Amino acid sequence: MVVHEPGGNLDELRRSVREWCATHIPKDWQDQQRGATNDELVAFLRWWGAELRATGLLVPHWPKEWGGGFSIPEQVVIAEELARGGAPRNGLYHVGVFNAAPTLVHSATPEQQQRFLPGILNGEVWCQGFSEPNAGSDLASLQTRAVLDGDNYVVTGQKVWTSWAQVADWCMLLVRTDPEASKHKGITLLVVDMHSPGIEVRPIKQAYGASDFNEVFFDEVVVPVDQRIGRENDGWAVAQGTLAAERAIFILEMTERLRLNGIEAAVREAAGWRLESGEPALEDAGVREAIAESYAEAEVLRHILNAMIENVIRGVDVGGTSAIIKIFYAEVIQKLMRAVTGWQGVRGQLDEPLLECAGWETGFWMNDYIHSFGHAIGGGTSEIMRNVIGERMLGLPR
Amino acid sequence: MSLTVEERDELRSTARSLCDRKSPSERVRAVVADPPGFDRALWDEMVGLGWSSIHVPAAHGGSDAGYAALAVVLHELGRAMVPSPFLASAVLATSALMCSDNNALASELLGALVAGGSIGSVAFASTDGTYEVSRLTTGWERVDATVRLNGSSGFVLDADVADVLIVGACSDDGTPAVVAIDSASAGVRIEPAASVDETRRLFSVAFTDVVVAEERMLCEPGARAEELLDQILAVGVIAAACDATGATERMLDRTADYAKDRMQFGKPIGSFQAVKHHCANIAIAVEASRAAVNAAAVALDGEPNAWARNASVTSSYVGPACTEACGFGLRVHGGIGFTWEHDSHLYLKRVMLDEVMFGTPSWHRRRLARTVIESVQEEELQRS
Ligand SMILES: Cc1cc2nc3c(=O)[nH]c(=O)nc-3n(C[C@H](O)[C@H](O)[C@H](O)COP(=O)(O)OP(=O)(O)OC[C@H]3O[C@@H](n4cnc5c(N)ncnc54)[C@H](O)[C@@H]3O)c2cc1C
Repeated sequence: MVVHEPGGNLDELRRSVREWCATHIPKDWQDQQRGATNDELVAFLRWWGAELRATGLLVPHWPKEWGGGFSIPEQVVIAEELARGGAPRNGLYHVGVFNAAPTLVHSATPEQQQRFLPGILNGEVWCQGFSEPNAGSDLASLQTRAVLDGDNYVVTGQKVWTSWAQVADWCMLLVRTDPEASKHKGITLLVVDMHSPGIEVRPIKQAYGASDFNEVFFDEVVVPVDQRIGRENDGWAVAQGTLAAERAIFILEMTERLRLNGIEAAVREAAGWRLESGEPALEDAGVREAIAESYAEAEVLRHILNAMIENVIRGVDVGGTSAIIKIFYAEVIQKLMRAVTGWQGVRGQLDEPLLECAGWETGFWMNDYIHSFGHAIGGGTSEIMRNVIGERMLGLPR
Repeated sequence: MSLTVEERDELRSTARSLCDRKSPSERVRAVVADPPGFDRALWDEMVGLGWSSIHVPAAHGGSDAGYAALAVVLHELGRAMVPSPFLASAVLATSALMCSDNNALASELLGALVAGGSIGSVAFASTDGTYEVSRLTTGWERVDATVRLNGSSGFVLDADVADVLIVGACSDDGTPAVVAIDSASAGVRIEPAASVDETRRLFSVAFTDVVVAEERMLCEPGARAEELLDQILAVGVIAAACDATGATERMLDRTADYAKDRMQFGKPIGSFQAVKHHCANIAIAVEASRAAVNAAAVALDGEPNAWARNASVTSSYVGPACTEACGFGLRVHGGIGFTWEHDSHLYLKRVMLDEVMFGTPSWHRRRLARTVIESVQEEELQRS
């Protein structure tokens, strides 16, 4: 098998990844995964993660010693080609690869890195236990308690909306260690073994029918002190370790999926039928305009991402742009899904088997539309992102 | 005889309290999980209360209170997302018969529908969901003194429980006809086509050499049949918009309540202007939709030649406005709004089906544009 290495020629890398995609992405994976059970989905994503790993493409953005080392331009090429090739979206490993690892690289001790990073590469699943029933947008008001007892923290509390907790091996957990301190000050980041006694995971079904987020209950769960990342009560700063570059590359891959596969799917959808008036949909001005509008917006988003990535390389602060790309992406997908369900009319309202792990372009447009609301809520709502732009980027008063 | 404002308010409050008691959302979820997918006892109760015939002339046993009264009921059924054959039977089939020129047939079938012994539905969409008469996918031909149907119709509401199906068909030479058949007739095959909105029950209906007496035609084939189908469509559009308005109004209530209760950053989220404005925008959509559907329902009590225009105005505005409003309502609920357990998605899905069930807003806008442009041009001609 070809193993991709950093440091070569960019065009060569592109050619090689493209060829690898062409030969390794199962042609019919979407059909096979349509209507899959949760277990089948997880097994498939584990298999796909292992394939990516074997060819060196699971963690291009990690440091070289941990299996990555690709430059940002190389990461862009890889993301583009995986998107173009219609690769499955590996949501199962998202937290491990994109959130936990950068935080570990940034803030963990060498021993902790040695302990956890190889596991992520080997297919251990991570989840992110941040949100709580009363701490969503106002994350810093979280209440899950950790009390130090000798060499262990004892954790009690509840998290919610925890994606993939039902199969996770590890959790990046934000806990309150100092209830007296001001709310941002008394928080600590722990890595919790999800197989520990005292943890109960209850799946929550989502509006579009999948069940991949959960409630997680902690009842006196023992977590060794050496699983604390960073200093005690410094967890708020440590948790911000998800770097702008990773967010940009992740959204870039999603944007390319939309710009290439999503638009292609919309064209294919429209090509197959006539509007109610009898006119071929593809000849209709409204349909053509909607396709072009979404394509243009996806391309503009690509340009924002390119500029952002250049700034990351130059070390310029891109905090505000991070919020902009999140909102922009959410709105582009919503607009396209809405447009297509609009032309489909009542046909588009028929139920179909669910396809997960394909981004928002599964071809079941109505469901993709409902699913797209998750992007305007999860990871910081669009309203909160707009506050960030107003306050941090423009300095508007709070 | 139309209802006074007071009578309408009373009807609304009776309907709301019945729906609150008999069809809270937990009940809706339970009912749709098992066959037949609606609450037959509640349906019987609604028929008994005269809701399903509230707009039917007294001569046929109805209350003669007009579509304006029917709109009140539809709004409440939408608010509570009641799964029932009301739209199929009380609205579409009943209206088709009320518009029919075949008095004997209308009397016979309306009698049974009003009394509640019988459920009706209308099959007048093609298999790909269009209502353009020339594109219907059920054909008809005359064989001696009978009509023979072949083909299939899509998106037929509650077909499996309908006793009477009113079928829109188009002959090979492009002549439309509307005929009432017994759903148990030989050659009728009914298959479920589940919608994303679980509170609705859609079916496709196939016809293989279904033979029915000529006297079962609702009107003369041809231009009159086309007009009749258009009238049923107009009633459907306006009824679905009433339903969507009711559902969105409920979403507004629940969203505003949630914005008052849910605390983040030490305050109710409704105190953040972003959330307040989302709520206000939903309120604008609800207020405007309510005004639009009420006016459209009043128009249904008037001249039928104004129905299509009113239906298109309604479809153009109400469907998209309610869909957008319910989407924002879902978002104001944050993570909870994105769960299956919460009702946000039920409202959104119901409203989205309402939006396109009787033609997309885009198609209706095109129809409306034709009417508007023609009338402006005519006026100009007359002036010059
Ligand atoms: C699909 C999905 C996956 C998720 N996965 C995870 C996960 O793996 N781990 C995890 O920890 N969390 C996860 N979350 C949780 C997510 O981060 C929270 O849902 C989100 O932060 C919002 O919090 P909330 O749900 O409590 O909503 P709330 O904070 O209660 O917000 C409700 C509404 O109020 C608005 N609002 C609140 N405060 C303000 C303000 N100051 N100004 C303006 N508007 C405001 C919000 O924008 C929203 O519209 C996930 C969520 C979703 C939808």
